[in-house]
Amino acid sequence: MTDDHSPDHTQDSDVSSNELDGVIHANKSLFDKLNQLPEIEALSSISIEEEEAEEKGPSSHWVTDTIQKFKGFYSGNELVRYAAWASVLILISTTALTIIEYDMFKESVTGHVGDTFVFGGDEPNWLDTFFHTFWWSIVTFTTVGYGDVSPVTHLGKFLTIIIMLLNFGVVTLLGGAVASVLVAQRLTGDDTLDESKFNGHLVIAGWNTYVPSILKLIDANQDSTDIVILVNETDKEIVQRVTTGYERLDITHISENFTHESVLRKAFLDKASTFMILPDSSGLLPHENPDEDKTVLTCLTAKSISESCNVIAHVLDTETVSHLKRANANEIVIPDDHVPHLLAKHVTDPGVPQFFDDLILKEEKDKGLQEVKIPRSLSGQPHNKVSAFYKFKYNWLLVGYAVRKAGFSLDEQMGESGSPLIRNMIKEQLEGAGVNLTSDEHVVVEINPPDDYKIDEKHSALVLR
Amino acid sequence: MNPTAEQIQKINHFSKVPLEMCAKIASVVKISECQPKHALLTEGDTGDTMVLVFQGQVEVSKNMMVKTASGLTTSRKPIIRLETTDPPPTESPITEPTVFVVEAPAFGIGEFSLVLDDAIRTAHVHATTPVKYGILTLEDFSNIVKNNPGIGGFVYFEVAKSAVQNLATASADIGNLTQAFFFALTR
Repeated sequence: MTDDHSPDHTQDSDVSSNELDGVIHANKSLFDKLNQLPEIEALSSISIEEEEAEEKGPSSHWVTDTIQKFKGFYSGNELVRYAAWASVLILISTTALTIIEYDMFKESVTGHVGDTFVFGGDEPNWLDTFFHTFWWSIVTFTTVGYGDVSPVTHLGKFLTIIIMLLNFGVVTLLGGAVASVLVAQRLTGDDTLDESKFNGHLVIAGWNTYVPSILKLIDANQDSTDIVILVNETDKEIVQRVTTGYERLDITHISENFTHESVLRKAFLDKASTFMILPDSSGLLPHENPDEDKTVLTCLTAKSISESCNVIAHVLDTETVSHLKRANANEIVIPDDHVPHLLAKHVTDPGVPQFFDDLILKEEKDKGLQEVKIPRSLSGQPHNKVSAFYKFKYNWLLVGYAVRKAGFSLDEQMGESGSPLIRNMIKEQLEGAGVNLTSDEHVVVEINPPDDYKIDEKHSALVLR
Repeated sequence: MNPTAEQIQKINHFSKVPLEMCAKIASVVKISECQPKHALLTEGDTGDTMVLVFQGQVEVSKNMMVKTASGLTTSRKPIIRLETTDPPPTESPITEPTVFVVEAPAFGIGEFSLVLDDAIRTAHVHATTPVKYGILTLEDFSNIVKNNPGIGGFVYFEVAKSAVQNLATASADIGNLTQAFFFALTR
């Protein structure tokens, strides 16, 4: 990870000092050339600008948008509906009573306000009378009933009876709606996530002791997403205790069952870049094992919501792996998979397991093994040049590449070969059996390739910083 | 009524045969007519005759096991339609986009019967328009070849070409099926 030019490293080498000087000279000229290449940051900012420009569509009219938003708000919110109808009823009753009992309310204004401000100046006008009647309506609707003013004529009293009876129903429904909203919020948690914030975020379903470590590592990597949604039914206070104190991460907790499609949609899974499913220990006793079927079911649900979302599933039982593969999980993490290898390496290659420990377990901020984007200008260049670029420009060791491979398409693979009847029959039968004819794009790793290995835009570098 | 030598020469398998030799073949073929839905060949039957279609459209279909809502069932699936262009069918032929249509001036079906005794029919063939056709039996053709060995070279070469093409298609089909099989198993 650091430059070490101690003589110990070269004393056993067959390379002469003249040859080494030649290599250093060649690398210096290469370094000068590479230094003229645009910076990674500049390229990243260009790509971000391009993405933002793509996202901006033609601006629609704000009036239409406002009406649409109000319509959606009205039809989707019971409380707003009842409040709107109560307001309409109040306005109707106020208008009716102002017309019918104008003289009485006008006289009452004069008696009540005395020398204070009135809209009409010296003499109360129709606006003062209307406002006074409105006051009466609110006092009646809210069942406060001061009794400072009341209708006098038979027609006014008759209208008031109707209004009071209607009011009884509206106020009851309004009160019920307020109560149900409060109860629903209490049961389902914060239901008002700001949708604009969530795009390309990380969703973690399930809760176990790994979560704090996962969050810590993601927090330490400046290039990774900083918006995280946790979906699990663990006690809110426990989750809150663990999820505070991160430098970068903006963590939201949805305390609901993550196997439900509606819950995953609430976490904006359709916009998420990565979805991590963990063995869920929520509500389990220490000796109880998480239900792995939930992981498979959640993976199936997630893929039905967003085919392109990168689903990473962590399983404890290796028998679940085949189910997860069928459910189209992009990556499957099996714990203890490396243990036999590490144990054997303690015998055959002492030092290698310790190297792994240092590399993975003691990863610090901006240190350790990381994946970085390769500048576009290096696309098409051989591995040795890309390796030299990272070594001389950043002093990073390029150990390999993560390569995004296009998903396999059976349809494309068959092409026009064979008889159309057989091709159609294969497609019909597989689709009928629910087998998707294409597999997702996936990532493969190319470690320490030969010097002439060509890099393209599907590659990103795995560097040791 | 017998077909003309020119009508025989329009058929792909006899296209390289000189006209005077085509006349010999025409002399042993009788033109018949049939209506739509008439079966010209039946899958699984054995036969030693080749059907020569001079006018009309025929559909080649096979019995296949398919999975439907009610379970596995055997259903006849159309593979291809063959349509004459010289002359074209007397009625409007079927033009479903899902089934490929091969057009030719005239064509022969069951050509392997000119080589094999009791060749098994590998597909159904039925008329989809009024069809004018003739039957060439293995015995008649063998007699012509015995007396005119030159005909055999031309015709058997075309039959061999057809057999090789079928073999290549079958090989590709096996490849596709194997791929699909592994694909389905790993999903």
